[in-house]
Amino acid sequence: MNGKEKNTENTSAHAHISSYSEHFGTWVALILLTLMTVFISTFGADLRTLTVATAMLIATVKALAVALYFMHLKYDAKIYTAWMIVVMALFVFFLIMVILDYITR
Amino acid sequence: MADSHIFVLPNSGHNFDAKASKMGMWLFLFTELLLFGGLFLVYMIYRFLNQDAFLLASFELNVWMGTINTIVLLTSSMTIAMAITALQKGNAKLAITLSWLTILAALGFLVIKYFEWSSKFEHGLFPGMDHFDGLPLGERLYFYLYFFMTGLHALHVIVGGVFIAVVIRLIKKGKVTKERYSLLENSGLYWHLVDLIWIYLFPLFYLIH
Repeated sequence: MNGKEKNTENTSAHAHISSYSEHFGTWVALILLTLMTVFISTFGADLRTLTVATAMLIATVKALAVALYFMHLKYDAKIYTAWMIVVMALFVFFLIMVILDYITR
Repeated sequence: MADSHIFVLPNSGHNFDAKASKMGMWLFLFTELLLFGGLFLVYMIYRFLNQDAFLLASFELNVWMGTINTIVLLTSSMTIAMAITALQKGNAKLAITLSWLTILAALGFLVIKYFEWSSKFEHGLFPGMDHFDGLPLGERLYFYLYFFMTGLHALHVIVGGVFIAVVIRLIKKGKVTKERYSLLENSGLYWHLVDLIWIYLFPLFYLIH
């Protein structure tokens, strides 16, 4: 069966079926990013703050890969992505408020 | 008037709504994200205030055990995602095998975690132990957060594993099928969330260098 084929017999569920190879590809990317972040932190730069930023950037790329492909957000109804953005915005708002609180003490 | 006291739901007997159950799962996952999000904020502030102590304390962790556990979790995320694909394509047997592999990975993760925590106990690095209580505040804060956050995460690993085991049973009973795979999908979503949180826990606790 083609991975992109529409599942018309079940309208209550979503139509898209992710292929095995797509999941495997996502996994390969995640493993490579993991090895990269370990390598950078263990053998990498002397600039501590820069390594923290790099580690967080890599973690975010990994999280996006998991959310979009494993959690199927890329192919699902847009409402889930919209919710996710709202929740992340809420978190960033908390983050900014906490930072503002600490730097203005 | 005679049968006005009988209230029948419009969809009685067909209380299956894949979309609604998925939305419910996502809403629950958002509360989980904010639960851990709060903890990450606490971590951020204490790390900012105790940068050197956090660095020093992080050397107690074994980067390689953390890396192996990360790979184990990422692999289990792939197997549960593939299990959903298998069930959607009608291959229940493969879906069950892949789900078992996910549970196996969950157990592997917990075994490694057990060895990691045991070695901390052996070094007296647990709140209440003499060595721990003698540490500077910054290092103690690091370990408080380490034990609480990885402990709460490990609890989620256990719950996720049990959830998947229940779904395997239901697939065998024919209650979760090619047409009704919501429960497998939701257990998968929960499992990916566990993975998602670990993706941040790993660099924040193991990779401070």
